[in-house]
Amino acid sequence: MFVLSGLLILIAPFPQSSKTPQKRLIRIEASSFQFTPGQIHINPNDEVTVELVSMDVVHGLSLDGYDFELKADPGQTVSATFVAEKTGVFRFRCSVACGNLHPFMIGKLQIGPNQLLIRGVALLILSIVAVFYSVRQIPQFQTRLA
Amino acid sequence: MKKEFLARFLVILFILIAVAIPFAGQWLFSRNKTDIIELHARMPENGGWSIDQIDAEVNEPIHLRMTSDDVVHGIAIGKSDLPGVDIFPGEFVETTFVFDRPGQYTFYCTRWCGPNHWRMRGTIDVSGEGRPLQPEPQPLFVTLDIDIDSPPIAETVPTEQVSAERGANFASLLPTYAIDRTTYLSTSPAVLWMRLRAESALSNLSDQDIWDAVAWIWQGQTTPANLENGQRLYAENCAACHGETGKGDGVMARNNPVWDPGNHNMDKSSDSFTGEGFVRPRDFSDPKNLLGTSSALLEGKIIRGGMGTGMPYWGPIFTSQQIEDLISYLFTFAWDATSEANLD
Repeated sequence: MFVLSGLLILIAPFPQSSKTPQKRLIRIEASSFQFTPGQIHINPNDEVTVELVSMDVVHGLSLDGYDFELKADPGQTVSATFVAEKTGVFRFRCSVACGNLHPFMIGKLQIGPNQLLIRGVALLILSIVAVFYSVRQIPQFQTRLA
Repeated sequence: MKKEFLARFLVILFILIAVAIPFAGQWLFSRNKTDIIELHARMPENGGWSIDQIDAEVNEPIHLRMTSDDVVHGIAIGKSDLPGVDIFPGEFVETTFVFDRPGQYTFYCTRWCGPNHWRMRGTIDVSGEGRPLQPEPQPLFVTLDIDIDSPPIAETVPTEQVSAERGANFASLLPTYAIDRTTYLSTSPAVLWMRLRAESALSNLSDQDIWDAVAWIWQGQTTPANLENGQRLYAENCAACHGETGKGDGVMARNNPVWDPGNHNMDKSSDSFTGEGFVRPRDFSDPKNLLGTSSALLEGKIIRGGMGTGMPYWGPIFTSQQIEDLISYLFTFAWDATSEANLD
């Protein structure tokens, strides 16, 4: 029974987000070697317009999992829109070589709830319950407890 | 016996060929590459162009093989309309320049590569026969003796949004000097407005009518194509400091304090390399600033730079047509902003 509920926690589809999709304007400032903000949390199906502002040299922004890329020169803000159809955690990276630490210029876009965390916590609770249950099944513990 | 001799001869021959191949290859390689100049682009803090002075002959092509050592750069020749070539890190790009007139040319970086981007400039000295480059005529701010370091503040500004279309209705009433090109070049909109206000022939027009007429005169001195070119040049070269909306809040300058005569301190000199002591550029969208300045003053600022303000000099970079386009685009900030300015 525990195995079954464990599997259920792992693969059960998440309830669809009840939040109505909305239009968002996110202004991301890219400087060497970081995005500000570096962590973005949005709801699924939001229509997101990203405005990329470069602060020093030519930077880019490409979003993993989506066909979305921007390139901005300082003084020339660029923007583009995409619909967040896929849920999960995606990284966005600088797509134009901008110096030594360019490979580490990464930001995080979280679409919808953090499923891994919620499922992990649920599994942890389940395993604790399972441990207590199995301890009760052992006869000598039963007498001691009684 | 004869066969053994032949065999020995062949062995020696093969050894000689094997030794000669690398030398021959090196010679062939260097013969092909002698006229190619390898140019590395680096941020000015890391040294700028690896070669900042190139000597050349008239009509002899200069082959450049370029790469960037850090960020995206670009190269273009000043005072020419040729598009720039982008230089990406990790990639080699080749280009060829040919000059048909002797003189000194400037090559410069075309993509923003940091706050000191404009310092990435080098010269190409072209010698040989031919008609030399004409020296530029003296800019108007010199002949008119305009002090470009203390731009005047407009005493009067429009109280409502100006409209060049409305201004066109008064075209027939205007005196001839008003629509003269030299007036546009040497006079600020505010000064011209005061001159027109003093005209008895225009006494039955309202203040706003005269502003509309001035806006129409300014619009008549440019074309939509020039404005578009000016807008492009502004975005590429100016907006990083002056701001995309002309407010002086561009990404490179927005951490500087706003200029205020009260905090002006002569003892604290500004440091042009670190930017210490710099203030933000003037707000172009405040009509008090731009409507008080003449085209000649703006031209002087662009050609000569700001002298201790961080504003670079663009004289060797822009053609006079490009500067003219830029100035006509700059004035649109003031005309478009006249309505917002009165909200506060």
